[in-house]
Amino acid sequence: MITGCTYGVVLNDRGERTALATSFKSPPYKAPPEAPVVYIKPRNCITVEGAAISAPEFAETEVDALEVAATIAVVFAHDLTKVDADAALAGIGAARLAIDVCVPHASYYRPAIAERCRDGFLPLGESAGLPAGSIQITTFIDDVKAHSWSLDYLVRPIGQLISDLSQFMTLCAGDALLVGLPGDAPQAGVGQTVRVEAEGFPTLTTRIESEARA
Amino acid sequence: MKRARILHQGNEAWAELVDDQLRLPDGTGVAIADAQWLAPVTPGATIFALGLNYADHNKELGFSAKQATPLVFLKGHATLQGHGGTTPRPADANQMHPECELVAIIGRTARNVSEADALTYVGGYTIANDYAIREYLENYYRPNARVKNRDHATPLGPWIVDAADVPDPQLLKLSTTVNGTVVQHGSTADMILSVAGLIAYLSGFMTLSPGDMILTGTPHGVHFVAVGDTVVSEIEGVGQLVNHVVAA
Repeated sequence: MITGCTYGVVLNDRGERTALATSFKSPPYKAPPEAPVVYIKPRNCITVEGAAISAPEFAETEVDALEVAATIAVVFAHDLTKVDADAALAGIGAARLAIDVCVPHASYYRPAIAERCRDGFLPLGESAGLPAGSIQITTFIDDVKAHSWSLDYLVRPIGQLISDLSQFMTLCAGDALLVGLPGDAPQAGVGQTVRVEAEGFPTLTTRIESEARA
Repeated sequence: MKRARILHQGNEAWAELVDDQLRLPDGTGVAIADAQWLAPVTPGATIFALGLNYADHNKELGFSAKQATPLVFLKGHATLQGHGGTTPRPADANQMHPECELVAIIGRTARNVSEADALTYVGGYTIANDYAIREYLENYYRPNARVKNRDHATPLGPWIVDAADVPDPQLLKLSTTVNGTVVQHGSTADMILSVAGLIAYLSGFMTLSPGDMILTGTPHGVHFVAVGDTVVSEIEGVGQLVNHVVAA
């Protein structure tokens, strides 16, 4: 169960890192990222299987869809401080499919709070065990296959990622970690249904609705 | 009223400051000198922090006075540290500096709150020392986690002062002393986005819940600390937060 903080990392997709290699050398970045690039999904983001996501009003004007990035959330059973990759993997108690939702944005320079931390922007599937082998995650939008990627594409595989983070921040029992986002995640608009599947995990579905302001 | 989170006989408990004692819900009193202080945070609370929210500090760091979008970042709970506790300084962290900040704690659920009403959503205030280590800055989600989400590197407390006891959160003097020497002083009057403005901004796109905390940024004064230093962050009408810098 997630009782603590939900962390995530961006720029952990090898394809995206390659595609952005040139821009990493330019301002405002100036150099490629060294440490994992961490963000937090606060508690207001978390919803469960079947819950709808409210698209903010401006999604209908400035942008017409939300980015829906399918990934895996690992949930920790132990506190992990300065662990190696093997100990990191041994500290995982459960895994859940996740759809990390954001308002599309181009820059990684400043934390994207208004884009990533809206209510309902993290649907999570039911708990499962973390499969040992390769994990292929497929996203369907209105029942049409829209995206598929494999966690084999991660720059830092799950154990290494946790190990690197744990050198400066403890991942506590009850915390969760979204292990990486596909750089080419699809977008879904108001009225569309998003379904994510991966072998070994219960299916996760959500629907994008328009945010009705009181 | 002041409420502290302490460790008492193997349990975490909220205690009320009465005279010079921390009074537990069952009436037991703990002398302040004997208290084991924890950060006064509720489990699961979202912890917001502000960068570049004081014009003078922005100038000092080479940034424009006002950011187009407020620079907000989030913290986990493992980075918090109680009053009187220690913060590790890595051997290569020659540019580690304390940042004294007023913290507003949300008292009731807030969504789409106007700036005019925003302060009625504050339950109380406390103090944070939001240490930064400049060597570890990277230009991705800056200020990045390796700078701002390090274990035990955000002392917070010692207690929460009721909002009713802080008539105007924008009229408070704040300061940092290191081994008794003042290295940072300013006033919350110099915040770019006020407490009310921050609550209006954040609640405009997400729901704020009771217990959520907003670290509202720091004024000018960058002073690098060394192992062995005692750092005191003080805010008028709220209290003094003590921290000891130790070797990592």
